[in-house]
Amino acid sequence: MTNRRVILCVDDENNPLVLRKLVLEKAGYEVVTAGSGKEALQLAQERAFDLVLSDHLMPGMNGAELAQAIKSKQPHLPVILISGVNDIPPGATVADAFLSKVEGPDALGKHITAVLQREKTKKSESSTVSE
Amino acid sequence: MTPNIPVNILMVDDQPGKLLSYEAILNPLGENLIKANSGREALELLLKSKIAVVLMDVSMPDIDGFQLADMIREHPRFQKTAIIFISAVHLTDVDRIKGYERGAVDYISVPVIPELLRAKVSVFAELYRKTQQLEKLNRELEERVAARTEELRESESQFRSLANSIPQLAWMAEAGGSIFWYNQRWYDYTGTTLEQVKGWGWDIVHHPDHLHKVAEKYRQSVATGEPWEDTFPLRGQDGNYRWFLSRALPIRDVNGKIVRWFGTNTDITDRKLAEEALVKSERLAAMGRLAGIIAHEINNPLEAISNAFYLLRDHPSLDEEARYYSKLAEEELARVAHITKQTLSFYRESQRPVAVSLAEVLENVIELQSRKLQVSGISVDKRFYTRGLVQGYPVELKQVFLNLIANAMQAMPDGGRLRLRLGQSKDRRNGREGVRVSICDTGGGILPEHAKRIFEPFFSTKDTKGTGLGLWISKGIVQKYEGTIRFRSIRNRHVRATCFSVFIPAVSASVTPKVSAALVA
Repeated sequence: MTNRRVILCVDDENNPLVLRKLVLEKAGYEVVTAGSGKEALQLAQERAFDLVLSDHLMPGMNGAELAQAIKSKQPHLPVILISGVNDIPPGATVADAFLSKVEGPDALGKHITAVLQREKTKKSESSTVSE
Repeated sequence: MTPNIPVNILMVDDQPGKLLSYEAILNPLGENLIKANSGREALELLLKSKIAVVLMDVSMPDIDGFQLADMIREHPRFQKTAIIFISAVHLTDVDRIKGYERGAVDYISVPVIPELLRAKVSVFAELYRKTQQLEKLNRELEERVAARTEELRESESQFRSLANSIPQLAWMAEAGGSIFWYNQRWYDYTGTTLEQVKGWGWDIVHHPDHLHKVAEKYRQSVATGEPWEDTFPLRGQDGNYRWFLSRALPIRDVNGKIVRWFGTNTDITDRKLAEEALVKSERLAAMGRLAGIIAHEINNPLEAISNAFYLLRDHPSLDEEARYYSKLAEEELARVAHITKQTLSFYRESQRPVAVSLAEVLENVIELQSRKLQVSGISVDKRFYTRGLVQGYPVELKQVFLNLIANAMQAMPDGGRLRLRLGQSKDRRNGREGVRVSICDTGGGILPEHAKRIFEPFFSTKDTKGTGLGLWISKGIVQKYEGTIRFRSIRNRHVRATCFSVFIPAVSASVTPKVSAALVA
């Protein structure tokens, strides 16, 4: 059983999607890609992911809407929105983090680590309580 | 053709027969013939009616014709009355001259030639008639002038009442443009007296930069009679200038000649400021929208490229040279990302007051200006003792310091030193805690005569483009935070420096969430 975390990476533009996947893989994650919110939602229902990393501005369902949809079914699945816009769009607060694309790959790695760590801490806290 | 009004001809002769013959001769003229038998009777008749011509016999028993003429001429009323002497006696030239001296107009000798008598009487009768007509016309003209003068006075008095009740400044000038009356608002606004500004004395309340053009245009209108319109600043009692839209119209008499100019000045300062502020805020809003769009369009490929370089880092297939190129490219790309982040987020104002680090604001501004600083040869000496946190709106605070730093840089076109200091401080007026920022340049300094005006709207010492609103807006923003903005300038043989000092309280009650920051300015 692999220890590698699996990230669902969503973006409607192909080059950015591919490069982001490669960066994440270099950082040690397993990555599954989706070209739209709809596709991502489908995939998320089919298998378990450790994190969803999605672009915000996409045709059809945008990142914030996707985050909302995922959270309604899987509240413990962390969602990070990454975007080219400077302002945090309305409805995006449902996501665990909102990153700017301008911050670069190193920052991306740090944010993902931080979110996954938070999630892990939350999980262990709740499991400690139940024990 | 209108028939002539008959005039009175007085015929004086002691012999009734002669009177009858004169009457017969003169009847065809159609004038009014009056007979007098003696000098006495003639005088009586003269006083009773208006006599055009007196026809008299020189030699009469009770009174000599010449003596009668003298008596007649004594009355001022009869000084111009025509007198024709009929003389049987042969008159010498000397006699005639004596007669002319008395104001006698002509002589007829006996025997009287009817055509001659008729001709001479006719001429004088006509002369009299014409004189009467002229006098009548003159009287009518005088009446008309008097009526028109009265009308003018009446309309002037109405103008004064109206002019004193309207909010505009108003005045009246002579045909030549010299002003002789101002309304009360004019005096209230300018704080002047009629003595000071009458005639062409109004130049004392005009802005020196505009005076020449304004006077030129006014003179032109006065000379051509064309209505005058112009927009320019006028100095108020408090020493500040406000903008006025000014107009004047000529008032003409019955002949179309200009007798007066009525003028007004309407204060359009608020409108002008609102227009400028609106333009600025619209520009700012448009830039914000544009920035948002560009940000997104650039940031996407930017991220992809950054990721690509990240992947190239330490890639096994790259040799040392290739890795070096890749590193350089990645570094430059990081700069692009940084600049994008800085510039494009510059125009986005927040909806609520947030904690703003003035140290960060200053760093931002310096960074944005880094290229220009380099090119102008300006060195930056900055010392920030604290982060300089205040509660407020980042964009408008950036605007203040961008304005001050840009001014400092413009003062040093050939290089110099820009000194920035930031630290915790207290408001000298009330002891409130806050942040003090000082921005000093080693440029030309501010002239004493400009010193008290630099915070005025539309005042600028730069010949290049500039609205002249920068410092006025900055001061407005600082005052909104209940802060202060001051400056000191030194100009002497050894040193030239200008320092602006801004104090912003850490927290101010007046900073509340609002719709648009730029509109307030």
